[in-house]
Parts: sequence; structure tokens; C-alpha cells
Amino acid sequence: MLVLALLAALFLLAPILIVVPMSFSTAISFQFPPPAYWLGYYRKFFTSEEWLEPALNSLIIAVGAMALTMLLVVPAAFGYVRYRFRGKSMVNLLIMSPLIVPHVVSALAYYGFLGRAKLTGTLPGVIIAHGVLAVPVAFLVITATLKGFDRNLERAAMSAGAGPLRTFVHVTLPVLRPGMLVGALFAFLSSFNEAVVALFIAGRGAATLPKKMYESIRLESDPVIAVVSTLLVSAVVLGVLLSVFARRRPSMRLDT
Amino acid sequence: MAGRLRRNAAAWLLLGPSCLALVLLFVVPIAYVLLLSVTDPRLTLAHYQRIFTVPLYTRVLVNTFLTSLIVTTACLLIGYPVAYVMARRSGWISTLLLTIVAMSFWTGFLVRTYAWLVILGSKGPIAGAYQALGLGKAPQLLFTTFASTLGMTHILLPYMILALFAIMKKIDVNHLKAAASLGARPGAAFREVFLPLSLPGVVNGSLLVFVSCLGFFVTPVLLGTPRDMMISQLINQQIDELLAWGFAAAVAVVLLAATGVVIAVYNRFAGLDRLWG
Repeated sequence: MLVLALLAALFLLAPILIVVPMSFSTAISFQFPPPAYWLGYYRKFFTSEEWLEPALNSLIIAVGAMALTMLLVVPAAFGYVRYRFRGKSMVNLLIMSPLIVPHVVSALAYYGFLGRAKLTGTLPGVIIAHGVLAVPVAFLVITATLKGFDRNLERAAMSAGAGPLRTFVHVTLPVLRPGMLVGALFAFLSSFNEAVVALFIAGRGAATLPKKMYESIRLESDPVIAVVSTLLVSAVVLGVLLSVFARRRPSMRLDT
Repeated sequence: MAGRLRRNAAAWLLLGPSCLALVLLFVVPIAYVLLLSVTDPRLTLAHYQRIFTVPLYTRVLVNTFLTSLIVTTACLLIGYPVAYVMARRSGWISTLLLTIVAMSFWTGFLVRTYAWLVILGSKGPIAGAYQALGLGKAPQLLFTTFASTLGMTHILLPYMILALFAIMKKIDVNHLKAAASLGARPGAAFREVFLPLSLPGVVNGSLLVFVSCLGFFVTPVLLGTPRDMMISQLINQQIDELLAWGFAAAVAVVLLAATGVVIAVYNRFAGLDRLWG
């Protein structure tokens, strides 16, 4: 089992690491091992509008989508966890539906729907779509945190004379903050990595990084894609290592 | 009674706006697709008839289904040992594996698809190894069904591992100790005790991977061949190249229905809460 597991880990890891040497390669095409090394394509990435603009769009969209997701999820999670009411399972199904519906179906739906509202090819359009699609993941994380919340803390604050608002701001929110942050991070990453819906609706006006990568692979084999991949992989490696070693709580990020 | 009503009101005050927004911004667009599939260009069921009778399209359906089955099986076979070691061992090996799985999980689809493009390409390491070993020219790997299946397996593997791991780490070690103390050899203890207890994870992971695979788009387009089209490629082609809204919508509805059936079956036997819980 151990050998099989390590082989599988190698299968997972090796392809991700191969993009690093590729990014320093001088080759115009996808050649491995690289014939020689330089930094030229890094310079190209950091100076070309063609790549910087989608990168910036992706950041703006991911932040906007994250805000929209949290706006939808936080009140809903409180209502869902703290109350019993009729139609709860229907509500659960509604909130989870963006996860159940295949992304390509959602993409087609948004293409038609946002197209009618003249929102395809705009940042708000993609923010709406990504914000809605990230709702289930954020909801799962935040309801899990809420379920683990000890309500005696609130009762104690109230009995000590704090009003509901004060209790919420000074007791409930601080305790829930880590869970909320993880939920927000999930929403951000879900938007930042999303490709299919963006391909359908982002157009030229709001092209995201994954869309640009898709097109550069499909149409022109631009070696700059190795640079972008390396930067993205570095960010992921940094984030995961930080969470594993600094906080020693890797499970929190994965299977909440 | 009044108290209950007030509680209900509070719940809906919190949930209402979000639910309304989800209906407007998600259910309505999806319903619009359903509507288009029977009304574009006029009221008709012809699109559905075409999907299930024209061999070109039935082949896409069959191919999507088979590919998803193969990818799911491959993910299960490769992922099970990883999750097993992660759950049963403590210390650095478990941490190492978890770190690798997490990295893979968070790396975007496009980065990983690009990586396979390099590895399988005609100037890639495999082609290079062929030449170095004097085996002549490597077979065409890229833009084949093999490449797209491999790419999808690689991308969906972390989901399978995490689903398996979530169940396996809850298995009580004492069950295995009890089996051993009753004289079961390690192999038998695994077969008779651990494997059955891990089955819910197998079901969860398989559902997750299978359903994701049914609607997979980016990787088959970039690594595969148009001859072995997946459903989502068909949808994109109909919209992108032909602007055939009605037909594309009908294909999307078929995909949605297939996904719905798989999930409904799962819900019937296992309950959806357990997948998300």
C-alpha cells in the first residue's frame, strides 16, 4: 500500500512541478527538458497588457464574487443552522444546486440569461455568475463552523448585560472568524480557478486568467503560460505549506 | 404558537433574501435553458428526438458515460492506497501525502492540463525517453482519448482521495485490533473489516468524480480528440460554431437530467447529507 501511495503521490505532484523548469525555458514551443534557461518570458508576462489585464480581471472578479458569496451565505447559514422550519430540505437543495448542476450547463444558462441583460463580457456579469457558483462551498464551510459554535457563550454575554448586537459583534463574530475566513477563501479560489463559465460569458471585456490560458494553449502555444502556471503553483505551494506547518491544522482547509 | 411563528419569521428574514437571490440568479437562468430546449426556434421536442436517434449524438452520450466510468475507476484504484496510508499512518508520511493532495487540489485545472500537454507532447519527456532508449519515434499520445482520460483522472484524483480519507479517518482502529486479536491476518482484517467500513467513502468519491466527469469541458477539449467528444464539448460546439440554442439547450438538459438521476439514486440509498456532511 505504501509504495502504491507514494507512486500515486508522485503521479499527482510531478506534472505540477514540471511547469517550473518550463517557465525558465528559452524554447518557443512546449519542449521538455528545456534546451536552455533564461528569464525572458517572465519579463514578457510582467510587461504585456495581454496577460496582465486578464490577471487583474481575475483578481477583481474573485474579490467581487467572494463578497457576493459571503453576502448570500452568512445570513443564510445563521438562518439555516439556528432555526427549524418547514421546507428546510428544499432550502438546502436550493443552496446546493449550483454544486449539483454541471458547470457547463450553468455556463450555457448564464450565457443566455446574462446575454439578455447585456451583462456578458462585463465584470459584473462574471462576478454574479462566480459569486452564485461559490455559494455551496462557502455554505458548507460556514454552516460547519456554526454547528460547532457553543451558544452558551452568547447566553453568558447576554446575561452579563450585553444586548443582542453587542453580543453578536463582540462574541459571535470573533469566535466564528476563522471559519468565515476559510469560507471566503474557498469562494475566492473557486472564482479564481473557474474556467468553463468564464469561457462562455467573459468575452473580451472581462477575460479572466484561466480563459486567457485556455486560449493561449488552444490557439497559439504561448510559452508565457509556463510563467503564469509557475506563479500560480508557487502561490498554492506557499499557501498549503503555510497552513500545514505554521498552523498545523491542514484538515481545516480540506475536509471541513 | 406565537413563539414558533416568530421563530419562523426570523429564519425567513435571514434566509429569504439569499434564497430569492439564488432563485433569480440561478434557478431562473437554468429554467430558461429548459424552456429554450423545447421552444427554440419553435415549440418542439425534435431536439431531444435528434439527440437520442442520430448516431453521432448517441455516440457522444455513450462515450461520455464510458469515459466517466473509466476515470472514476482509475481514480478509485489510484486513490484508495493514498487515502489508506493517510488515514492509517501518522507522522510525516501522512502529512506529506496530505500536503501533496492539497497542492494538487488547489492547482487550477488549466495549469494541470497545460502540464500534461508538455509531458505528452511530441517534444516532451516521454517522446524524449523513447528516442534516448533507441525505440524510435514515440506513438502519438497527445490529442487522443488516452490523453484526455489521463488528464481528467489526474485532475479529479484529489477529490476521490479526500472523499475516501474523510470516511477512513473515522474508522475506529480498535475494530482492526479486535480482528487481529481474534486471529485475523493483516490481509484478512483489511478485507473483512477495513474495506467494508470504507465503502461509504468509495461511494461518495465515486459519485463526486463520476458526476464531475460527466460535465467535464476544458481538459477533453485541450488534450482529447474531437472524434471522442464529451457532452459538454457538444454543447459548446453547438453554441460557439452553430448558434443552435435550442439544440445546445436540449443537450444541456440531458446532461443535467443524467446528473440528477445519478444524484437521486445516491440520495435514495445514502442520503445527500452524508455526502456534504
